[in-house]
Amino acid sequence: MQSTILHISRAQCQKGGEPLFAPIDLTLKPGQMAVVAGNNGSGKTTLLEAVACLGVFSYGGINFAPYDNQEKWLLHSHYIGHSLGNKANLSCLENLKFAAAINGIKVRERQLSETLDSVGLRGYEYQFASDLSAGQKKRLALGRLLLLNKQFWLLDEPFVNLDTTGCDWLFTCISDHINNGGAALLTAHDNKRIHEKADHLIQLERP
Amino acid sequence: MRFWILLQRDVLVAWRKKSNIYQPLVFQLLIVTMFPLGLGAGAQTLQKIAPAVVWILALISTLITLENIFKDDYEDGSLALYVLSGMSLPLAVLGKAAAHWLTTGLPVILFAPVIAVLLHLPSTAYGVLMLSLLIATPIFSLLGTVGSALIMNIKNGGMLLSVLIMPLLAPVLIFGAGAVLETTLGNNPSGHLSLLAGCFVLSLSLAPLAAAAAIKVNLE
Repeated sequence: MQSTILHISRAQCQKGGEPLFAPIDLTLKPGQMAVVAGNNGSGKTTLLEAVACLGVFSYGGINFAPYDNQEKWLLHSHYIGHSLGNKANLSCLENLKFAAAINGIKVRERQLSETLDSVGLRGYEYQFASDLSAGQKKRLALGRLLLLNKQFWLLDEPFVNLDTTGCDWLFTCISDHINNGGAALLTAHDNKRIHEKADHLIQLERP
Repeated sequence: MRFWILLQRDVLVAWRKKSNIYQPLVFQLLIVTMFPLGLGAGAQTLQKIAPAVVWILALISTLITLENIFKDDYEDGSLALYVLSGMSLPLAVLGKAAAHWLTTGLPVILFAPVIAVLLHLPSTAYGVLMLSLLIATPIFSLLGTVGSALIMNIKNGGMLLSVLIMPLLAPVLIFGAGAVLETTLGNNPSGHLSLLAGCFVLSLSLAPLAAAAAIKVNLE
């Protein structure tokens, strides 16, 4: 039995003084995936941001089990939100290179082009991120996951904007990550396949 | 080192979007050409107001660029990238401030003689003008990070930023323009310059901490 990587108990977020969703509980272990589902405006993004330290839980507790504190835990996780984090006037290569460098990871040029290869952006190395389509921007952001290789993935609607092959690729990618002992917490409002695959399905409901 | 990585990226981003770099300079040039028209030609009148005008223009033209220090990063999500990377947040703020200074403060310093010539500033004051701006422009950038971090999630927060930052920049203007003025009158400007340097040290030591706290507050 492997130890817990993330433990959330009776947690609630609030917006404008009102609680957004009924309290949720989650215990996530390495090799597991949790999917947050709910209607628009039910607080999926707010929940994810709170876990990623970009927000706070107003009630309840969160425990970053194997690490002493949130900061250490953050070093082992990567968050991709609705704002993808690509700089519009940097090329794809430069965006990836910055992401790796700022996370303190040394990468070789070849690794960067391999990453772009595997997210389906071969030939776009020197293209500015602003010239990419919405789906390609998403792919570029997802490329960071492969490059940084963190244990814990926090993904906000990762399937949105991706085409069918992209969705299949991401599904395999997440499955591989889980099978290799990683963990993931993601939101997906309508992807049946990922809902079925999830170890924990959190349905956000009105409080 | 991550400080350099952030600095490099920001300079590159600014270099690719050159309007950010020359916008303050064009702004200064446009306004300074209005002065002889409004005041009536006369080298003596211009000369009298030159220290203040050069300084106020440098201040205002920097002020309009401060908003974007953190706002752009906040909007495209790359702020989360370095906030969550585990790097020290005050260090990240220093990197941002340094990049802002290189792309805004430095051009403003180098452009100051052009503005000064148009206002007939006595040639003896050029050295002190450049020196005072060299000490003061980093203060603009450092205090700018605090203001920008406070308003990054507010739409149209530019006005609020000006109101927040202007009072803090008032002493900088007093000492900076004062130093140039004293020089034109033939006095020793070293008192003003030392006080200006004091302001620089103060903002260098406190602004990164304040801006880091502001970022944390805004993300919660």
